Amino acid sequence: MGHSAGAVLSGLGVGLSPIAGEVYKVAPHTSLPARAKHAGDAQKEKASLRSAISSVAQHLEHLMTKVDQTSVEIFEALKMLLEDEDLFETATAEIESGWNAGSAFEIAVETFAELLAGDAAFEERIADLRDLAKRVHAEIFGIKLGLDIPETGKYILVGDDFSPADTAQFTPAVIGVVTIKGGPTSHTAIICRSRSIPAVVSCAGAKDLQSGERVLVDPVGDRVVVGGDVSLATQSIEFVAKSADPIIPVRANIGSLEDAIAAATTSANGVGLFRTELLYLSSTTAPSLEAQAQSYAEILSASPEGPLVVRTIDAGSDKPVPFLDMPHEENPALGVRGFRLIQEHRSFIEDQLKSLEIAREKTGREVWVMAPMISTSAEAIEFAELARKLGRFKVGVMVETPSVAAVLSDLAGKLDFISVGTNDLSQYLFAADRMNAALGTLLNPWQPALIRTLANIAAESDAAGLSSGVCGESASDPAFAVVLAGLGFKSVSSSRSQVGAVRSALSSVTLEQARAIAQAVLKQPTAEDAKATALSELASL
Amino acid sequence: MSIRANVVIQDPIGLHARPAGQIVKLVKESGLEVLIGPEGGEMVKANSPLRMMAMKAKTGETLSVEIETDDQALAESIISQIQDFLKG
Repeated sequence: MGHSAGAVLSGLGVGLSPIAGEVYKVAPHTSLPARAKHAGDAQKEKASLRSAISSVAQHLEHLMTKVDQTSVEIFEALKMLLEDEDLFETATAEIESGWNAGSAFEIAVETFAELLAGDAAFEERIADLRDLAKRVHAEIFGIKLGLDIPETGKYILVGDDFSPADTAQFTPAVIGVVTIKGGPTSHTAIICRSRSIPAVVSCAGAKDLQSGERVLVDPVGDRVVVGGDVSLATQSIEFVAKSADPIIPVRANIGSLEDAIAAATTSANGVGLFRTELLYLSSTTAPSLEAQAQSYAEILSASPEGPLVVRTIDAGSDKPVPFLDMPHEENPALGVRGFRLIQEHRSFIEDQLKSLEIAREKTGREVWVMAPMISTSAEAIEFAELARKLGRFKVGVMVETPSVAAVLSDLAGKLDFISVGTNDLSQYLFAADRMNAALGTLLNPWQPALIRTLANIAAESDAAGLSSGVCGESASDPAFAVVLAGLGFKSVSSSRSQVGAVRSALSSVTLEQARAIAQAVLKQPTAEDAKATALSELASL
Repeated sequence: MSIRANVVIQDPIGLHARPAGQIVKLVKESGLEVLIGPEGGEMVKANSPLRMMAMKAKTGETLSVEIETDDQALAESIISQIQDFLKG
């Protein structure tokens, strides 16, 4: 069933610019049929397996023409595994014993997966093999897997939610995105924000949109309007800078040398969050102290002027570092991650701090270091003592757990600063998994419980003499950044693409005005009311 | 006749997907039957990258390579290329 023209579908907006265009609906992934026996014609099953393998191989070849050299080698290796003769023979034996072609290939892949299991070097290959088996199985049943996005034209992509593999395939033809599930911290939202693609996420009404319909994506209005054009879009507030400097400094989030170089072209005052794990996720062995110091020195010297806040490794079993042993956990968000890794990997964290100190001395930059996933004041103090022993840093911790937020007064005189990661704080405060697309509305930063918790954190930090900042996704929203300043935070750190917008918002108000807006927002009973109040207060200035 | 020689794995990750793929490509192009396996252990056909990976051969291990051919020069060239692939 479709919507009539003018229908308004509400969701959560990402970005500030509206866009209108034609819907390109991505069908939800159809599930594969369960394993089953064939009807008795083994020859026919073998032929159908052979032809499915060759179609998938052709698809891999097609992908090779569109990617860089490194990826070509990956696809070549995949094709080699797919066309492995022993694998085919193993599958043939399964067909002989009665399984249909798709099931037989999956069983054959599992046979090899078991042979390769238990060796860290093969884990990704096993995942690749299983993915290939799915593709072959899907091919046999004529099921489409993955995205098939047009490369030309202009489309508003509409779908359930998009995984990292999906967003990697976004072509320039994707001018807007609408997701039925997924919240403001979903992968889709983060990618759209960083690539400046207007989006509305968590938009349940979008499930009835059809390909070919025209819609307006109105992120400022948190809505999609069927048949609407840009003239109907909610006007984003024009922030007119009244002073040269924002009321609190706006820093940039970075994770790599490329990010640091790009951030230096913005008006960011230093770096508020340098995610160091990206430097390690692709190495199979621990980089030497010298190599780490070299990478850090390059990034520190390329970063925008101002203090640089470096977060020590934030990895866990869902985001494993290949050379650290991270066993599978039932619930990685609540497992051994961030600073908790010090139990097993103290020397790794020490090496990180030592190499940062070498880089700090070499570049002369002002380096602040902080540890993620801190739950007690004892952990915070342990990190502070370690960091002070190994370098001349300002030291702090991330506030992501409600437990550490409750004991900030115990940290007076022990730390220099704290930085709030609002994405994780929401996840732990609301007991709502960030990765669960169905829980997007709980992760809306305008939720009153989050804003009131932030108010307490800012007040407690102030009382304890700790400088407080916010580096979560919420600090990339200009209106929210004004509220954060009004609550008493001393700095914000935004996605690189949002630094300019956040800076102009924070230059358009006085601290007194920001405080008044924050007070009005704190009284609101729902996320919708809180956001509407902030926007109307800002518009009336 | 068959020609046999030893190679040593120098690649720091062992016999992983890339060298296995390179060996298979070479073997298929040669059209010869090539067996590979731990010294004195069970040999597998070198036309299956998965079968070779499943040996889980590690850095520093010695592998035997056996080639069914009368062409001594060709066999030696294949063996020296396999050794190159295993250098990482």
